[in-house]
Amino acid sequence: METVAPFKEIIEVIKEQGGDAFKYCYQCGLCDTVCPWNRVRDFSMRKLIREATFGLTDIESEDLWRCTTCGRCPQYCPRGVKQIESGVALRKIATENDIFPGPIAPIRTVSVGLMGEGNPFNEERKKRGEWAEGLNVKPFTESMEVLYFSCCYLSYAPRLKKVAAATADILNKAGVKFGILGSKESCCGESIRKTGNEELFKKLAKENIRTFIDAGVKKILVSSPHSYHTFKNEYPEFMVHFEVVHISQYLSELIISGRLKLTKEYNKKVTYHDPCYAGRHNGIFEEPREVLKSIPGLKLVEMADNRADSLCCGGGGGRIWVETPKGERFSDLRLEQAITAGATTLVTSCPYCITNFEDSRLALEDTEALEIKDITELIQEMM
Amino acid sequence: MENEIAQKNLIDVLVVGGGISGIQASLDLANSGFKVYLIDKSPAIGGKMSQLDKTFPSNDCSMCIESPKFNECSRHPNITILTYTEVGTVKGKPGNFKVTLVKKPRYVVESKCTGCNICAEYCPVKVPDKYNQELSSNKAVHIYFSQALPLIPYIDPETCLYLKDGSCAICEGVCKPGAIDLHQEEEEIEVEVGAIVLSPGFETFDPKLRTDFGYGVMENVVTSLDYERILCSTGPYEGTIRRPSDKKHPEKIAWIQCVGSRQITPGGNSYCSAVCCAYTQKQVILTKDHDAGIEATIFHNDIRAFGKDFERFYQRAENLPDVRFIRSYVSVGKEIPDSKNVTIRYSTTDDGVKEEEFDMVVLSVGLNPPSDVQGLATTFGIELNKHGFCKTNPANAIETSRPGIYVSGAFIGPVDIPESVVAASGANALCSELLSYRRGDLSKEREYPVEKDVSEEEIRIGVVTCLCGANIGRVVDTPGVAAYAGTLPNVVYSEENLFACSTENAQLIADAIVKHNLNRVVLAACTPRTHEPLFRDTCREAGLNQYFFEFANIREHCSWVHSKDKEGATAKAKDIIRMSVARAAELEPLQEFELPVNPQVLVIGGGLAGMTSALSMANVGFEVYLLEKENDLGGMARRIHYTIDGFDVQPHLKELIRKVYRHPSIHVYLDAAITDASGYVGNFTTTVKTEGQIKVIDHGAVIIATGAEEYKPTEYLYGTDDKVLTSLELEDHIIRRDEKVVNSRSLVMIQCVGCRQTDRNYCSRVCCNQSIKNALKMREMNPGMDIHILFRDMRTYGLKEDYYREASEKDIKFIRYEPADKPVVETAVEGGHHIIRVTVTDPILGKKLAIDADLLTLAAAIIPSPSTQSIAKLFKVSMSPDGFFQEAHVKLRPVDFAADGIFMCGIAHYPKHITETISQAYAAAGRAINLLSRDTVTASGAVCDVDENDCVSCGACITACSYGAISFHDTPKGKKATVNPVLCKGDGLCNAKCPTQAIKLKHYTDDEIFAQIDASVPDDERGQCPGAAGCAGCGSH
Repeated sequence: METVAPFKEIIEVIKEQGGDAFKYCYQCGLCDTVCPWNRVRDFSMRKLIREATFGLTDIESEDLWRCTTCGRCPQYCPRGVKQIESGVALRKIATENDIFPGPIAPIRTVSVGLMGEGNPFNEERKKRGEWAEGLNVKPFTESMEVLYFSCCYLSYAPRLKKVAAATADILNKAGVKFGILGSKESCCGESIRKTGNEELFKKLAKENIRTFIDAGVKKILVSSPHSYHTFKNEYPEFMVHFEVVHISQYLSELIISGRLKLTKEYNKKVTYHDPCYAGRHNGIFEEPREVLKSIPGLKLVEMADNRADSLCCGGGGGRIWVETPKGERFSDLRLEQAITAGATTLVTSCPYCITNFEDSRLALEDTEALEIKDITELIQEMM
Repeated sequence: MENEIAQKNLIDVLVVGGGISGIQASLDLANSGFKVYLIDKSPAIGGKMSQLDKTFPSNDCSMCIESPKFNECSRHPNITILTYTEVGTVKGKPGNFKVTLVKKPRYVVESKCTGCNICAEYCPVKVPDKYNQELSSNKAVHIYFSQALPLIPYIDPETCLYLKDGSCAICEGVCKPGAIDLHQEEEEIEVEVGAIVLSPGFETFDPKLRTDFGYGVMENVVTSLDYERILCSTGPYEGTIRRPSDKKHPEKIAWIQCVGSRQITPGGNSYCSAVCCAYTQKQVILTKDHDAGIEATIFHNDIRAFGKDFERFYQRAENLPDVRFIRSYVSVGKEIPDSKNVTIRYSTTDDGVKEEEFDMVVLSVGLNPPSDVQGLATTFGIELNKHGFCKTNPANAIETSRPGIYVSGAFIGPVDIPESVVAASGANALCSELLSYRRGDLSKEREYPVEKDVSEEEIRIGVVTCLCGANIGRVVDTPGVAAYAGTLPNVVYSEENLFACSTENAQLIADAIVKHNLNRVVLAACTPRTHEPLFRDTCREAGLNQYFFEFANIREHCSWVHSKDKEGATAKAKDIIRMSVARAAELEPLQEFELPVNPQVLVIGGGLAGMTSALSMANVGFEVYLLEKENDLGGMARRIHYTIDGFDVQPHLKELIRKVYRHPSIHVYLDAAITDASGYVGNFTTTVKTEGQIKVIDHGAVIIATGAEEYKPTEYLYGTDDKVLTSLELEDHIIRRDEKVVNSRSLVMIQCVGCRQTDRNYCSRVCCNQSIKNALKMREMNPGMDIHILFRDMRTYGLKEDYYREASEKDIKFIRYEPADKPVVETAVEGGHHIIRVTVTDPILGKKLAIDADLLTLAAAIIPSPSTQSIAKLFKVSMSPDGFFQEAHVKLRPVDFAADGIFMCGIAHYPKHITETISQAYAAAGRAINLLSRDTVTASGAVCDVDENDCVSCGACITACSYGAISFHDTPKGKKATVNPVLCKGDGLCNAKCPTQAIKLKHYTDDEIFAQIDASVPDDERGQCPGAAGCAGCGSH
């Protein structure tokens, strides 16, 4: 057996980068038992923590990059190890040293896009508002009820542009006075921060904050739970407090207040997938379910892992930009759970989840067995 | 009863909470001469202990050891039990509190009810049975549990149809004594009390509040308290292990430790609940006893076997076949829809995460403060700690923040039964100190008529056949049995009785003795174990010698075991009664001895324990002789300067020493050595050599507090390298602010040095906390120091778990090692400096860590003091296998020796923390006060006696006696054995050993027993051997 000595300097560096909470670990192993990775392959958060405790982290290891920040282990951790923040500390060190092993390499390109064009796809900034063309969507002005922040995925990704369109359609039909910032909007920065690129996050956040303030934004409606999370819980680090509402919450409000009327029937079994950053991280569990239950004919069924125990799609923590090999995708398991629950439609409300689920759907034997819909897409059909 | 309360509302001590701690406190207080009210908010006393199947580590039946105490309380002239009662308000000050008691309506008039339970039989409403953890059902009116005290039903107002909407009053109609009162109202009782003891107990953590383990959703996930009921013969499945979903016998059971404990997760408790490791091991052992084929798996993250004999108990569980202890916290995977089995996911260091299926999962739930603890605190005006337990002082954990109000049991914090009992006895000492001026003023003694001489009378036996409600009556044809009993020789009276033990019916028996001039009484009913004292008392009240009473057990020995065979049971009941009648005819009147008690106490050992006991007893008013072998008081505590919870030990010690020296009733003998000890309870004589003089001390009780010692390690370079210290030595350096030590750059501590190994197979209990305490102190003095603690299991039990986390927070690093792969310690030179290199395998890293230290401390074991053996010999008391003193009963008599009148406290009993030692010292004082408060001690009449003519002086009886009750004495015919009746326990071992039958046990003489055996076959059947082909001829006919 190899003999090593604790590496004091590394311990200090990890601490400085925000990994101080590693010290609390008493190695009970609970994190490993709830971690979704251990449903598809071996991965030990406990070992990662233990190595960090003694400054023995292998900074070139791919394991540093596995965590999807789904929030399962900190939710259960009896010692308050703050696995997400602590794990990000290790990635900060890797990022500072420009170490992105094998499959993690795309993060470099993503950063370039975010830095230059404010989106991870390196698409042109000026095209950011193009999705809204012909949809009767106006630029945001101060007098409007709400700013709709569509996020990079809904602005550029073809599959998700449909979600943006559905959202705009619903808002218009409900008579909501809303607008968008188009090319002035930048990536919210949530996911790049989780890869340890704190500097880039700060840049993006400051840009957005400046834009929001300049435009007189008070209330922000978001489609992505990741945007929701960072606006609500992380932007206040810059001493700004915007009112943030997630589309699933907003839909629920519109229905309750009678602004949105659902007329059609949906006679299918539907299951709802709780995105980690809406559910576990921010406690949005019941509003989307209330929305679905208000659809005539719809039968809502629950998957084995639901609400606070929801199974991550695999897209958080920057993993959306990393190619996960077949057989190791959580989203494959999630689709199985949906089918086992008897659902023919899997509804969610997160661009990463939709992206991963659509990928996994293509791998299904019968690709028609399950439809993947954003909650806005289903509501749009029901109006 | 109501009137009685109104008139006599002046009492000494109010005990709030009738669990084992409250019961023990009441008994100790009442026996010390105080008038006590024992109240409980539930319908019966007994608390959580009454729900347990067995107790660790002795695996005694919980109810069997607790219920005799119920009866002791109920018969005690100075204890009044009020159940279904809570405290409304508390005003006043120590010595004179004014308390309002609120007695909730139970809708059953206690004075009229006979406990026959007919009401429950007829009640149409089924409700989940709370006593059985809602795993079975009961009725809206029912007796809380079958051994409940009082044995009186209560009506649940939530579910009773009458109380809900007036639609049913069946119970009222069927109750023959008219005890049901559906219009009963809440009653307020004002009392004036001198002191209050709070023993409200605990609640178990409710895993339903968080869904993480599927409790309440998955049927086969149960809590450990549910499982106690499942194991218990009075539980929902009558003691067969079944799982709730399909009532099938599970084959694979998992236990999950620390449910609700050792976590900062919202809804959980940060502290360790201290009892779960041991109770789980108990459940595993019992499960394997029930069905050796069951596979048991225990998931944990430290086995905390810190109590006396716990380490062996753990090994006993671990070494059973198909038992696995797996070090991992777990999550519940899923419930399998068809089988309702549950999967558990756990971590391993070698094979990653595994998911395994179990038939049943037991959640080892932790202990929470009592429900509505905030309300309790407000009512009594006491403070709580941050966990919601009673705020106490490390110098005295039995005192609350309000003078005159004391605390015992799990309200102090999570503790097991012995510690609850210790605090209860300790509360007696503290109440006795406070109320010494009025001790005995309110208490009363029972008075009996003059005993009649029946020696010249013909034998007149009365037989009473009890129906025990339906217990006997439903199975045995009691009218037939009673009629039969009337035909037996010498029987002049035979009657049936629905419930002989109810106060009214017992009076009927006493009346019959007088009216029919009976001189023997046979009661065909339940067990002498719980009820004999009551009926002996009945005989005394009728002027009959109590040894003329004879029990025929037709319940446990008959109706309960033959409930399916009524005819057979009836025949057997007749046999049992016939045998008892035959024995009764031979019974002799016996006298109990009363011996004076010398009210002085000898305390051996002038450490913290001995001094605390001595001072408490002196404050109560007893003369105390305190012996110390050294030339000054203080003992081991002189080496302990601070505790982990911030108690500054030395000022306390100095003040205690000062008080002890100055107390006029304490006689301190230093440099003391005991040269001789003789005598027995109430009358000991001890000879002491002290400072060149010989002193002979007469005393009624002894408290042994001789302490223990620190092990001198031979391991890890101790003694060869001055950088290696023991924990106590480190503490000394810390206190002296030794620069070399304080300025160390790197400190390593190794735990479990010298114990938890074959030759010292116990845990020294204090070392984990001691190391953390020192580590935190070192961190305070030198923030830059590297500190590593190498441990096997961190045993920061109870509220001390918080310090374990605090140590982690302060960057003290913990590394687990296995006993088979101990750390390797060697000297090395690094950068020109002499250092110590400690190499240890880290199981999670799968690597060896080499840590360079300039200071290594060893958590050395606490070992018994050499004086333990000589003291044990002098006072004929026993020692545990580990060489500490052995208590009479590990659960319920934790400070008593088996020999009466001798008590123990401190680390001579077992390693323990200072606060625990102080509590135990008060407990020993409380027990001794109990004894010395009496003018006399009573010795049973059923003891052995020697016929000196037949004694051949072989001494066989002397060696057979476990109590040292027999000795030789000189007679004109030489040495003859003689029995000291005070010490004799009547077990009869000596009778079996005596070659000449010179020694006999009174009340169980050959004549009595042979008469009983002869009557086992009825006269008319005797000599009618049916014979058989090839009969060898037994000669019996």
